[in-house]
Amino acid sequence: MSARSGATARRRLRLQRLGGASLLTLWAVPVAVLVLFSVAHAYFYPQLVPDWSARAWRLLLERRSAVWSALAVSVRIGVAVVAIALAVSIPAGRALGRSKFRGKPLVRLALISPLLAPPMAVGMGLDLVFIRLRLAGGYWGVVLAHLIPAIPYAVLIMAGVFANFDPGGEDQARTLGATRRAVFRYVTFPAIAPGLAVAGLLVLLVSWSQYVLTLLIGGGQVVTLPILLFSTFSGGDTTMASALSLFYVAPVLVLLAVGARSTARLAPSQLVQP
Amino acid sequence: MLVVVVLVAAACSTGPIADADIPDPSNWDEVVARARGQTVNLFMWGGSSQINRFVDTVYAPLLEDDFDITLNRVPVADTVDAINTILAELQGGRGRGGSVDLVWVNGENFLTLRQADALLTDWATSIPNARLVDWDSPEVNQDFGLAVNGAESPWGSAQFQFVYDGARTTVEELPHSYVELRNWVEAHPGRFTYPAPPDFHGTRFIKQAFYEVTGGVESWLLGFDETAYDAAAVELWSYLTGIEPFLWRGGTTYPQSLAELNRLFANGEVDFTFTQLPAGIGANIASGVLPATAKPFVFDTGSIGDSHYLAIPNNAAHPHGAMVVANLVLDPELQAAKFDPANGWGDGLAISLSRLEATEQSSIAKVTAGLSDLAVPPDRLQATRLPEVSAEYTIALERDWDFYVRQN
Amino acid sequence: MSARTEDTTRAEPIFRGEPGVWWRLAPALLIVIPLFVVAVGLAVLQSVGIFGVTGSSDPSLAAYRSLLGSAEFWRSLSFSAYLATVATTLSLIIGVAAALTFRRFFSRSRVWSFLLQMNLAIPHLVGALAMLLVLGQSGLLSRGATAVGLTHGTSGFPAFVFDSRGLAIIAEYVWKEAPFFAVVALAILGTVATDYDSVAATLGAGRPQRFRYVTLPLLLPALVPAAVVVFAFSFGTFEVPLLLGGSFPEALPVLAYRRFVNVDLAARPEAMAAGVIIIIVGLAAAVAYQRLARRLEGRR
Repeated sequence: MSARSGATARRRLRLQRLGGASLLTLWAVPVAVLVLFSVAHAYFYPQLVPDWSARAWRLLLERRSAVWSALAVSVRIGVAVVAIALAVSIPAGRALGRSKFRGKPLVRLALISPLLAPPMAVGMGLDLVFIRLRLAGGYWGVVLAHLIPAIPYAVLIMAGVFANFDPGGEDQARTLGATRRAVFRYVTFPAIAPGLAVAGLLVLLVSWSQYVLTLLIGGGQVVTLPILLFSTFSGGDTTMASALSLFYVAPVLVLLAVGARSTARLAPSQLVQP
Repeated sequence: MLVVVVLVAAACSTGPIADADIPDPSNWDEVVARARGQTVNLFMWGGSSQINRFVDTVYAPLLEDDFDITLNRVPVADTVDAINTILAELQGGRGRGGSVDLVWVNGENFLTLRQADALLTDWATSIPNARLVDWDSPEVNQDFGLAVNGAESPWGSAQFQFVYDGARTTVEELPHSYVELRNWVEAHPGRFTYPAPPDFHGTRFIKQAFYEVTGGVESWLLGFDETAYDAAAVELWSYLTGIEPFLWRGGTTYPQSLAELNRLFANGEVDFTFTQLPAGIGANIASGVLPATAKPFVFDTGSIGDSHYLAIPNNAAHPHGAMVVANLVLDPELQAAKFDPANGWGDGLAISLSRLEATEQSSIAKVTAGLSDLAVPPDRLQATRLPEVSAEYTIALERDWDFYVRQN
Repeated sequence: MSARTEDTTRAEPIFRGEPGVWWRLAPALLIVIPLFVVAVGLAVLQSVGIFGVTGSSDPSLAAYRSLLGSAEFWRSLSFSAYLATVATTLSLIIGVAAALTFRRFFSRSRVWSFLLQMNLAIPHLVGALAMLLVLGQSGLLSRGATAVGLTHGTSGFPAFVFDSRGLAIIAEYVWKEAPFFAVVALAILGTVATDYDSVAATLGAGRPQRFRYVTLPLLLPALVPAAVVVFAFSFGTFEVPLLLGGSFPEALPVLAYRRFVNVDLAARPEAMAAGVIIIIVGLAAAVAYQRLARRLEGRR
């Protein structure tokens, strides 16, 4: 390679790198805009530099603000959904990931369908039976509704985890005389723990982001953060809505930052939720 | 596995505690006594964070401290959701112990509930503070032309107003009727729009247009006349489709709510917006939703004003508590607080000044005095007030707007 | 499923007294399947008039006839399909490009890594709000353009939001889904693909050739099913077109919702009918996903 083509190649490389960095940074602009709007007062066109005001954040975080109960509701529902989904996905994931059995494709289809059927339509259909069962407008009704996409997602992820799982350690422990429970506790669980954590994070995300299902089943009475956000936005207070959006995504972003490296270790087929 | 079973078992929880008898407002001490310790589920439109905040910070603490009642404000995206819950629970045989104790309602939603016989009746005229309400006035005892019959108690009142920006439009340029509005719109293409019905404000806007182009509201006051409506509505569609090309975005799209219209107005995309608050837009300016130079006004041809109410479903689990709440909101001090834009709302009064003692009037008078040009003067509002007509007109207008205007 | 499963010829040992496969699957399936079947079933039943909120009536296809006979429905259906197709395609292209660039330059940085994946954690509702504030005619881009003299007034800025081409909706989808495709692609690029790529490089293949003949075939088994998933989600998402869409045409989920919350409870069966149609699209996507995943896996 001549010196000149080397220089051109290097410059092209630099440009590509710059392009990539710009694209990535550009992608974060919408979030930055939310931050900007959240601290602005009467921020109308064509103003570029806003009049700063902490009003939105002050009202958002005050004691009697609706955001605290919405946060509590979102967390309670999220924790319940994650707990149940993970609990059932360990055995189911194992069966799906490691065993050959008749009807396996059907089971996979049965799991993928609830994931891909839009929550809007599912919620509309479920609404009526939940009203009859007195689950509508209630916490448990919403939890069950969230489980419809959450469990399949957890099972498919755990299936992938178990597919890469080497049962050799389990066999060894068994031959050494360990009980089934001990095997699970000391061999299996530590091995699947990282995958389980990621599955838990992604399932939490599913529940945390749910708007339509919570709206339809909860009837607007179960006020999670997204319900509150939509209602605040519809009320016209853009500043408040921006502040609330940030409050809403902050916890999951933190969790994502913490778990970012683990996500990359999963095989692609497990990441089904766009 | 055990965890799952336990959790699932816990899911089969019991419903709210049922309440045995219907409260008797003439025996008010008994009602208050029975209400102690109750949680009242108030279902109200949750789209205004300022109204929500008012209820949470003004009514709720008072109810807790003075009456030992916990007010649970249940926001609904649309009052229709609360109606559906009530109807579905009644249909499902949940005779007592319903989720809804108190619902913020008026107009076609009230009609739906009355038609389904879903409300407690004859109580609103007998509660203690009912003496402060002018129940003889058709503005109170008729809700969209339907007799109230004590099935709902007024909470406040509203009147439709237009809002303009003093920095962009001078007083001389303002239209004062729908006819003048058409001229204005044609002279300023792309600078006006209105929220798409069935948004509340959008519906009211086209209804007022309906009154004006058909020669006045008088023809429509006696119940729903379908033939007359069909014949006359043609005028309205011709008016609305006539101005459509001159609207914002050429009328190809309409904002979905007043909030969106406010956003367009504040950002200078259009020059007018609407409001319902008799105390004016002070609260909106303070919260940064509208620019500081905005001012309200009404057409000379009038605008629709009416009361909004609180109703108690007849399967409410806590009707005693609900009645106490409905009575409390009529208290003169609290009505003044609600009327005062400084508290974030600015809703009109449900009580009549003439029925108040001098001492009771003072707080309200103070608010009125402080309103400035951020509100239309009360006597002008009174003079231009038009009544609502039967809710069936609303349903017909919304349905036909969708067909004749939106889809074309 | 990764290739490893098929390599495991050894069947899962069933220990003595240990429950079989179906017992393992039972808890998960018993929660999800009944709920899902009931939901779909009730949507179907309500769409033919049974179990309405106002009581049952004889089953009839009236709702379907009126829905399928309305021009509005077909506009909405094609609008939703158009949104989903364009969004999926754009996200796929941008996502893969981003993944390749990322892998080459930024794969070691935690910060860039976070930036890439950040949108996966951001719900569509927030994304829609952000897009409104950025792309609206009174949004920040417009204000910037006015400040530098490119445009004048809000109506001088092109209409991305509330317009009949759904540009802001597509932008939001792409903003959210491109990182999704990027993460999927990266997971593959981080494994076997690198080895094959280096081999091809030493054999003298140029970058574009390596991409076309080595990288892309390895990416497809994951990308195509992922695209089906993204399509189904974009088709059925409700929040984004509700917030960013215009009055007409409406996306199909918005149309369904408006009929669902209509004061006139007689519109409910039509809402259900629209919902059933949306579910059918989702189910078709599920079947397509299943078939494609298996077929593409098998080809390796």
